[in-house]
Amino acid sequence: MWKYEKKLQYPVNIKKKDPKLAKYIVTQYGGPAGELAAAWQYLDQRYNMPDDRGKALLTDIGTEELAHVEIISTMLYQLTKDATPEEMKAAGFGEQYAQFGNDLFPSDSFGNPFTMAYIKVSGDYIADIESNMGAEQRARATYEHLMDLTNDPDVLAPLAFLREREIVHYQRFKELRNYYLKNKIEVEKNNTR
Amino acid sequence: MNDYSNMNNYMPDDFEYLNRLYNFGMPNMMPNNGMMQMQNPNMGENIQLKQKLAKQAGDNMNFNKGNYNQQINPNEVYDIYGGFIRGNMFPDLYNQYKNNKPFEIEPMNEQAELLTYLDAYSFAAHDLNLYLDNNPNDRDMINLFKEYATKANQIQKEYEQKYGPLFVDASTTYPWAWNDSPWPWENK
Repeated sequence: MWKYEKKLQYPVNIKKKDPKLAKYIVTQYGGPAGELAAAWQYLDQRYNMPDDRGKALLTDIGTEELAHVEIISTMLYQLTKDATPEEMKAAGFGEQYAQFGNDLFPSDSFGNPFTMAYIKVSGDYIADIESNMGAEQRARATYEHLMDLTNDPDVLAPLAFLREREIVHYQRFKELRNYYLKNKIEVEKNNTR
Repeated sequence: MNDYSNMNNYMPDDFEYLNRLYNFGMPNMMPNNGMMQMQNPNMGENIQLKQKLAKQAGDNMNFNKGNYNQQINPNEVYDIYGGFIRGNMFPDLYNQYKNNKPFEIEPMNEQAELLTYLDAYSFAAHDLNLYLDNNPNDRDMINLFKEYATKANQIQKEYEQKYGPLFVDASTTYPWAWNDSPWPWENK
């Protein structure tokens, strides 16, 4: 089960309203390399891990990704808070405003709604973990693009934090993949899946 | 059951090797107008390759891009605050994007300050947690984890006493304190 902790993993205090920027950042909420997709991919894959270390790592990183969903949501909320319909329209959020007002909605930057088809599961734990390494790389690249699109330090700080987490997660997935390949016979013999 | 008996090609990733070359061989190199200056007298035979890589890296100033190292000294960790503002407790793994130095946290009041203190200790414990999932026999790291987790717990209790519950379990006063602002997404 999960327990809610009433705080963010990393503080977000954006003082300048900027719906245009939210229109870009939204892809890390509901886009193909977004936090929601990552969280669900890992929490789904953990049932297919062959041993306890894989189950632990996927559970822990998946849980952290849920905290990242909250950080991104907070950024979107603060960037669009009190934005007028005109401002939303000018930011390219006109269609979104028509359907959802100022509510958050998980989509990519183009407005395509989030889909669970983004999540990569294969029934093969090596393929799963390598797809996670790819997911972390794509998310890192996306955060770099987003950092290129702003110079607001209130926005850059959480983006830089989230980007760095992708790097650490990539490392942990890579370690796990290498461990499984190196110990493949033993791991397969004791596969508790 | 999966059959990996044919996967004999377990090798360090190529990019890992390349990155080791230009990370460890040239610790003093900094991008300078797209050109790299050689400052390390101990450079080995791979100087041409290094120069080529360094030039490529220097082209967009993103010197460290895609630089993933092996963790050589996992027990070397940043201090609590230093790790938190970097989003990474491990100097081996730290990778800065372009000229974005770690951003200082500037709490606006005492409550935010205590929360930052808690954030930092929780983060440190969590980052060690991920490391320990892969390295369950690292006794030193387990001890460090214990220290950070205990400290985070103490700060959490102190925060909850002063400012209200972070977990619903601590909502024991009248009236019901769990509802009270600020919620995490609200500007402080």
